[in-house]
Amino acid sequence: MLALVYFIILGVIAVGAALCVLLSRHPLYGALSLIVSMVSLAGIYGLVGSPFLGVVQVMVYAGAIMMLVTFVIMVLNGARDKRTPMFDGVSLFVIPAVIVLAGLVGFALVRAPLAFDTATLPGSVKLTSETLFDMAATGPGYFLLFEIIGVLLLSAMVAAIFLAKKHLGSVVAENKEESH
Amino acid sequence: MELQPMYVQILALVLFAIGLTVAIARRNLFFVLMGVELALNAVNLSFVGFAKTLPAEASVVGQIVPLFSIAVAAAEACVGFAMVIMIFRNKESVDADSYSDMKG
Repeated sequence: MLALVYFIILGVIAVGAALCVLLSRHPLYGALSLIVSMVSLAGIYGLVGSPFLGVVQVMVYAGAIMMLVTFVIMVLNGARDKRTPMFDGVSLFVIPAVIVLAGLVGFALVRAPLAFDTATLPGSVKLTSETLFDMAATGPGYFLLFEIIGVLLLSAMVAAIFLAKKHLGSVVAENKEESH
Repeated sequence: MELQPMYVQILALVLFAIGLTVAIARRNLFFVLMGVELALNAVNLSFVGFAKTLPAEASVVGQIVPLFSIAVAAAEACVGFAMVIMIFRNKESVDADSYSDMKG
């Protein structure tokens, strides 16, 4: 009963903040609403029994990714331009289409028999780390995925630096000139 | 009245629908990327909600996969916003329609 009350409170906050993202004019307000939505989702993760995932959500999503988003918005002055309209004519067709899609999926969803399994394991730090780094030959092998994710993040970082740089190779050329 | 798995799924569906609307209907590039993030969040919530309906050993899988999903979302946001910075330098505009003539 108490869990349901907490779930309703957090769910209303999450949906309300998501609607603020949809309707806010300035991207910075949208980013701050998105942070509120993500933090309340982290609360829901803890509520249904995955506290480690909730912590990761707060640290990585609400902390790191949204910090990057707000930083980019603040660096780029033109993020707030009054000329760009919020919605255009296409939106008139997009919004009913999304509502119909959600209605169809929801109709299929409410007919499915779902129940919480009482024997389910809470996703604590110990359980998550033991499963993630299970290096036995018969294990699930998630540690390989973990290594690949590390390489992916490194390559994404290098790609982002190269994309956002003003002139490729200019720093090297300047350094050469200075050393002469 | 207890908390049902269906409520979690319906919340995830509502958030996904809002994120999809933001990504498609808004014209500001920042909102397009933020809508994608919102939809990814909803999918993670759906993963966790379904994992809790599975028996003990199988339910761990549904709590591992969102970790990788969050890491991939971090990489996606990193490259996506670098691209926004790059194309903003060329056009001085954040309207998604002004980039409709890209080739290559």
